[in-house]
Amino acid sequence: MKTLKAQNLTCAYDDYPVLQDLCIEAHPGEMLALIGPNGVGKSTLLRAMARLLHPRHGKVLLAGRDLWNTAQRDVARQLALAPQANGSQRLITVEQAVALGRAPHRGWLLPLTTQDRNVTDRVLEQTGLSRMRDRRVSELSGGEQQRVILARVLAQEPQVLLMDEPTAHLDLKYQSGILGLVHQLAHKDGLTVVISLHDLNMAALYADRLALLSDGRLSAVGPPAEVLTAERLTEVYGVPIFVTQHPLYSTPMVTPVIDRHAV
Amino acid sequence: MSSRRFALSMLLLLALLALVAVFSLGVGAVFLPPSRVINALFHPSGVGVKPTDVAIVRDLRLPRVLLSAIIGAGLAAAGAAFQGLFRNPLADPFVVGASGGAALGATLAIVTGLTWTFFGFGPVPLAAFLGSLVAVFIVYFIAEVGGKASAIELLLAGAALSTLLTAITSLLMLVRDSTLYEVFAWTMGGLAGRSWTHLRNSAPYLLLGMAALWLMARPLDALAWDEETAASLGLPIRRARGGLVAAASLTTAAAVAAGGIIGFVGLVAPHAARLLFGAAHHRLIPASALLGALLLVLADDLARTVLAPVELPVGILTALLGGTFFLYLLKTRQQELRGR
Repeated sequence: MKTLKAQNLTCAYDDYPVLQDLCIEAHPGEMLALIGPNGVGKSTLLRAMARLLHPRHGKVLLAGRDLWNTAQRDVARQLALAPQANGSQRLITVEQAVALGRAPHRGWLLPLTTQDRNVTDRVLEQTGLSRMRDRRVSELSGGEQQRVILARVLAQEPQVLLMDEPTAHLDLKYQSGILGLVHQLAHKDGLTVVISLHDLNMAALYADRLALLSDGRLSAVGPPAEVLTAERLTEVYGVPIFVTQHPLYSTPMVTPVIDRHAV
Repeated sequence: MSSRRFALSMLLLLALLALVAVFSLGVGAVFLPPSRVINALFHPSGVGVKPTDVAIVRDLRLPRVLLSAIIGAGLAAAGAAFQGLFRNPLADPFVVGASGGAALGATLAIVTGLTWTFFGFGPVPLAAFLGSLVAVFIVYFIAEVGGKASAIELLLAGAALSTLLTAITSLLMLVRDSTLYEVFAWTMGGLAGRSWTHLRNSAPYLLLGMAALWLMARPLDALAWDEETAASLGLPIRRARGGLVAAASLTTAAAVAAGGIIGFVGLVAPHAARLLFGAAHHRLIPASALLGALLLVLADDLARTVLAPVELPVGILTALLGGTFFLYLLKTRQQELRGR
């Protein structure tokens, strides 16, 4: 299993800087959550870590080896990125979409082998999609489409799993379903998981470590209880924030402080 | 749909195409019933088989029917590929510049009275072939500024270049109005008078182009999903897209060189195939090809008979039928059309 490490990473779109000299490391068997306000560079960091965005400075190391010195296909055999689902109109079936994940292993021109089919069947089962395997992706709900994307990256059989907001727009049942599965992949199967999340409470419940980004820099990294302090969150998010303890799990629980008279 | 059912459907379509072809061989200035067509085809020296039947079926109509089938197949397969590649249901071989380039090439050849030939191609189809290849590649390179071309840029560049090329073509037609009719007839698209030579010259390129597209069905699936995902799956994006553009352009150019500009087959056949057999390209490309072949063979039957003895350019018919069908689709199946 493999460690993913960003070293002095600086990324920019044209002349607009997004990440500044950022260092972070994710280990096998742990779930590292990227948190922070909109536009701080969480997606950019994930794209750079997935070899989709060339950094201006610094590098990303997968098991000690620079991603940009590794062939794209070799990276894809070890590392998978699940982008945000965005209300897909795609007409291929669930099974066909999931089978795309086998491409880095099988190559692009050969037909599916029995082993590819077995892996596809297994991840469809694992993500609860077996029943709808022949339906078109466009016919599914947002939560189901997100599970299709998760199933596709699992079909890649990665050792490092990167996920960009996999729970956006999902109800509580789907959120805990997906995060529970991802947590299990890290803890039971030993995957290295880096996941960006908006919901700080969900991040605190499921992730082993949190990395709080602020203006393209790392503001804090560590276990949820260390990172999620009222003072720090109030500063980074720019609104007053109150932190208490979760009644069941004693993890931090975060809520904004609102002006009741104004509401 | 299981693989077995899909294969069976393709065999059925192929059988239907064979039936339609036999019927089409009988259609024309002289109508021949299927029994006489089959005798002329398979027992040319049999007892009671008329030599004129043999000449009509084997020398005149067979190459034309085969050519219309393979042109229809090529345009439809290229259309399916362009729609997936540009993630746009309105993309077809002609939207991306192939038509404008071919028309300008052909017009230049006609206006300047070129006479050179190459591998049996006359100057007009040859110039059309080169014109459409050059146009699609210009579009591709304009859109690929900075090492990256988005689907929407390719489509916009194609539309802009097509308009430009059509304007130049019209200008040439006006300046040299003695050749007006010849150019005009060519841009209508037609299969009148096509012989074994035309078939022999264009079939290899069409078959090669279609086979290449089919082989690249899975990269096409990934690109049609989205480019970022395709890249994260390890697909070399530029190479895959370049290969697909080259194969689809080659197919289109060969079809245009042999039959002129025949619109809408490349738009309608892939949509019909997608509704029937789904959007995964390893099925969509062969299914589109078979439906496209069927469509153009039938359209050419109509072109030969509707106003007999006058022959209509088949391009006018496909535009009439295809345009109507497309509007109907747009109104009734909006969800599928919007999809990819």
